Order: sequence, then structure tokens, then C-alpha cells
Amino acid sequence: MKKILFAATIVLTAVLGTACATSGETKSAGTATAAIAAAKEAQAKAHAVGHEFTGVSKMIKKAEKLAAEGKADEAIKLAEKAKFEAEAGVQQYEDQKDAGPRF
Amino acid sequence: MKKILTCAAVALAIAVPVTSVQATPSDDLEAFRAYFKKRFPDVPFNDYINGVYAIDKASREQWMEIEEFPPYEINVEQGETMWNTPFKNGKTYASCFGDDVAAIKAKYPHFDDKGEVVTLEGDINACRVGNGEEPLKWKKGKIADLSAFIAYQARGQIINAPEPKTAKELASYEAGKHFFYAKRGQLNMSCADCHVYYSGRKARADILSPALGHPSHFPVYRSKWGGLGTLHRRYAGCNKSVRAKPFKAQSANYNNLEFYETYMSNGLEWNGPGARK
Repeated sequence: MKKILFAATIVLTAVLGTACATSGETKSAGTATAAIAAAKEAQAKAHAVGHEFTGVSKMIKKAEKLAAEGKADEAIKLAEKAKFEAEAGVQQYEDQKDAGPRF
Repeated sequence: MKKILTCAAVALAIAVPVTSVQATPSDDLEAFRAYFKKRFPDVPFNDYINGVYAIDKASREQWMEIEEFPPYEINVEQGETMWNTPFKNGKTYASCFGDDVAAIKAKYPHFDDKGEVVTLEGDINACRVGNGEEPLKWKKGKIADLSAFIAYQARGQIINAPEPKTAKELASYEAGKHFFYAKRGQLNMSCADCHVYYSGRKARADILSPALGHPSHFPVYRSKWGGLGTLHRRYAGCNKSVRAKPFKAQSANYNNLEFYETYMSNGLEWNGPGARK
């Protein structure tokens, strides 16, 4: 009986552990997808106003590759950096609306 | 009385910046020339056609030696061959531009009926397409060769971009001016930052050229490229240098910028094609 209970505990732990891990991965993958989508949206805005920085596109592509490889945390980090730079481009556009000679 | 004085002071404070925003193209031209005259008092006006070689003696000596056997010579010859070679329909570029090659370069850039900027390279491809030929790639190769041949024939003529007059022409001019002075890219730098305010200073090992006269010597053979390239190729390179995503060659942004830079160089001589580092 003890053996059966012991085996059942191990099986249950393994099943629960796997389920939890799978759930965590799914959540991370989902977050990575959302982060990449947010970066792409910001990139489109920067592109539309003509102030996209050169590295944004590459960062998004790399984030997509990392996400596909299951490296969700790295993908999120890169996508957030891309989003930050794209938003900086839009801010630059706003700041430069009245640009002109300073002499 | 105090109220009147206060009102007058406020009105004056508002009016002054409005006046500066509404500077006409000829006001801009005058201020632009005056700036460089003050910045480089020893440089003769027409020497600005030589770019950085107008302001740095050591670079100029090296460049003069390069010009003894111009690296763009073969491109000019290839351009001449293109000019004389008929399209499949039997016509030549002369059917679009006229027989006098020397009279072409000085007509560009100009405005079309819609007030949009028309460039030489734009009309070269329009001519090709109109005659059933494939358009050429914009930045280098054959289009630069033909442009070099046309530029070479116009050496010594005076740059005289037309004064923008209609609302649409002025809008194109203002767009080019804004592009020139607006900071862009991750490095947050404008064309003017390098080529106006910091002209003559160093960016790493390179001395920054003055913007006055920039378009005079294009297309240019750049040692860095190992070949000839158009002005818009250079614009894209500059944008990349400040980590800004470049625009397409012959886009409205670069066409407007070309017009603004050319108008600011009015009065100088055309001396393309040039050789640069």
C-alpha cells in the first residue's frame, strides 16, 4: 500500500509539475507574442512619421526568432527595447516639428 | 499708458518669432551665405563647390592629386555612350532632354505643375520608361554614369534653382528645409548639426564639410564606395550614419532636400562629377 501511495505521489507531482511548467511557458510565449506585437505597432507609428531608427526592425526580427526558439524572456527583453526605440523616434518627430535654422 | 505699453510689448514678443518663421526662401539664402561667410571668413565664395577641400588644406592637396587622374573619368565616358545609344524604338535621350547636353544640368532640380520637385535622375528614368525601356536603379551604376556625363558638360555654369513661388512650391521648399534642420535617428542629429553648426570640425577622423555647395559636385566618386553614386545615395548614407532609417532614393523627402540644398547653393558653379573620400 505504501508503495502504491508513494508511486501515486511521484506520478501526481510529476503531472502537476509538468502542467505548471507548461502553463508558465505558455504564459511567457504569450507575453513574448504580445511584446513583439506592441513593438511592431510602435515601429509602424515611427515609420509613418519618418523617424524610425535603424536598429528597430532588426531587433524585432531577432525577438521573433528568439520567441520561436522558446527563449521567451530574451525575446520580451529585446521586443521591449525595440518598442522603446520606436517610441523615442515618434517623440523625436514631435520634438522636431518646429525645427529650423538657429542662426 | 502702462496697459498700452504692455500690450505693445506682448505684441512685439509674439510678432518677432512669427517673422522669423515666415522667412522667405531668399531671406533663407542670404542668412545661409552670411553664416558660412562668418564661419569661414577666408574661404572664397565659389570655393565651396569643393566641399571639405575648401576648408582643409591637407585634404585639398591629396584631392588635387586624385583629380590629376579623375576616378570618375570612365563613368563620364560610359555616360556619353549611353547618351548616344538609341533605345529599342530608335530614339535617344535627346528626344526627352534636347540636343544640347550642356544645357540640361542647370535646369534641375525644378518644380512640376503640382509644385513637386523634379530631379535629373527622376527625368532620366521617366525618359526611359516613356520610351519603353526599363528604369535604372536610382543610386549607382548606369544612372550615375549618365548623370555624370550630363554634369560634366555643365561644369562652370551657375547654380540657379528657381525661387519657389506658388503655395505648393513653397510647401515643397519648406519640407526640404525642415528635413535639413530636423534631428533624426538614434544619434539625434540633423543634416545641419554636422554640415552647418559643426562644419569644419571632426567626426572621428573625418572633417565635416560645409553644406553650402553640397549638390554642386554630384554625382560623386567616393573612395569609400569604390564607385560613383548619386546625391540621394549620399543622403541615405548620412541618415544611416545617425542611425535613422533612410528614405528611398527619389522619395519626396530626398527630392525636397535636394531642392533646398541646391537653392541654398545658388550662385555657385556646377562642378560635377566630383571625387571625394
